[in-house]
Amino acid sequence: MDYKFPEELKYTVTHEWISLEDEIATIGITDYAQHQLGDIVYIEMPDIGLVFERESIAGEIESVKAVGEIIMPLSGEIIETNPKIVETPELVNSSPFGEGWIMKIKISHIEETEDLLSVKEYIKVVESEET
Amino acid sequence: MELKKTPFYKIHVKHGARMVPFSGFYMPVQYQSIIKEHEAVRNNAGIFDISHMGEFILEGDNVFDFLQYIMINDLKLLEVNKGQYSCMCYENGTVVDDLVYYEETTTRFRMIVNASNVDKDFKWLNDHIGDYDVKITNLSSERCRLAFQGPNSDELLQKLVDVDLSKINRFYFSHCSLKDIPIFIARTGYTGERGFEISLENNYAEKVWDHLYNTGATPAGLGARDSLRLEACYSLYGHEISDSITPLEAGLFWLVKPKEGIDYIGKKILMNQKSNGTDRILVGLNLVEKGIIRDDCKIFYSGKQIGYVTSGGYSPTLKKTIGLGLIEKQHSELNTEIQIEIRNKLVKGIIVEIPFYRNV
Repeated sequence: MDYKFPEELKYTVTHEWISLEDEIATIGITDYAQHQLGDIVYIEMPDIGLVFERESIAGEIESVKAVGEIIMPLSGEIIETNPKIVETPELVNSSPFGEGWIMKIKISHIEETEDLLSVKEYIKVVESEET
Repeated sequence: MELKKTPFYKIHVKHGARMVPFSGFYMPVQYQSIIKEHEAVRNNAGIFDISHMGEFILEGDNVFDFLQYIMINDLKLLEVNKGQYSCMCYENGTVVDDLVYYEETTTRFRMIVNASNVDKDFKWLNDHIGDYDVKITNLSSERCRLAFQGPNSDELLQKLVDVDLSKINRFYFSHCSLKDIPIFIARTGYTGERGFEISLENNYAEKVWDHLYNTGATPAGLGARDSLRLEACYSLYGHEISDSITPLEAGLFWLVKPKEGIDYIGKKILMNQKSNGTDRILVGLNLVEKGIIRDDCKIFYSGKQIGYVTSGGYSPTLKKTIGLGLIEKQHSELNTEIQIEIRNKLVKGIIVEIPFYRNV
């Protein structure tokens, strides 16, 4: 199956994508992740102002059949969540890298960004899960 | 154990299905979208591969009496060319399996059982034959099965078969031809919608699928099968009924029959429960707050656990979460406010009328 892998983004092994702009990171789930979940029907967002450690669970994404976790790719404070996907969760299916973005955080430890995966590394992760 | 493939395996892969292990088979959980497949069944027609289910033939002079002894429903309500839904129970009233059998002649019955229970059922039936003149043949792997369900299923299927479908009433069946291919077809289903279930020999599998697919019906996977049956509140073995839940706890009051003079397995406890009630009962659930009800979530009333969710999920028809829960009877009144534990948080819910949807 063909998935989209935008080259300018960073990724995690837990299938989040990260767009970095100075100390602000915009986070979503990848095209592969939304395919795996199927029709998304509910998203439980973290409250704005909460601070999470890297790899902790910040929220939940529920599809008809499955529950997926939103895992913090970086330590940081939640500064914005996407109100559109609370009302229209299927945007995460139709536009995972665009209108279906999930949240923005203020990064606590900028050096953690060095551990994020490049698109090439992430494609290998997906390929190994596919087989 | 190596997973088995149904004769439709290649077709599923061709249609882009996500194949998952289910009851010992690779089965399609969805093709493109559970919601779209669900809606296709509610609005037009869907095709389901249900070949993972078991199929037995029971033959012999005593088949009728044997089944009256094993089953809780009353076979006196049957006639040739008609099928019946029933459970077979243990002596303690809990369920070995729920199933449908069809009376082909007075001495020959066809039985369709749950995939996960095929071996258990075959053994249970054989272990109880005793002096009854009955022979049981397991045709599960030499035949395959499809469901064709939806409001347009009659119209679409009529063009393919040589029998007048309008003459086949609910739970009746026929042996007929679909484009010259011999099939067994019954007006039964598990979706809460009009429709048919079909059984045929494996070697015709792909041809029959193609004929059905070319009517414009949508292939539908196990995901849609589950969301459809949950809306219709049909019991799923291992969830609403099981070897620790009786049919009366699951609300299947109509299924437990007195059958005067017949001492069927489980009768004593079941008739007692039917007269005196049960401590637990199945109820419908909605959430007042946001969230999705999932299987096995605990249900609370005023801080005390009163039961658990047997099946929960999202209803594409109602566009909200729905669930079924087995709870203490004293809290089962409609509109009772309860709480459901979702990821360690108590979420407000309410007991509602069931089924959520049915259009058969």
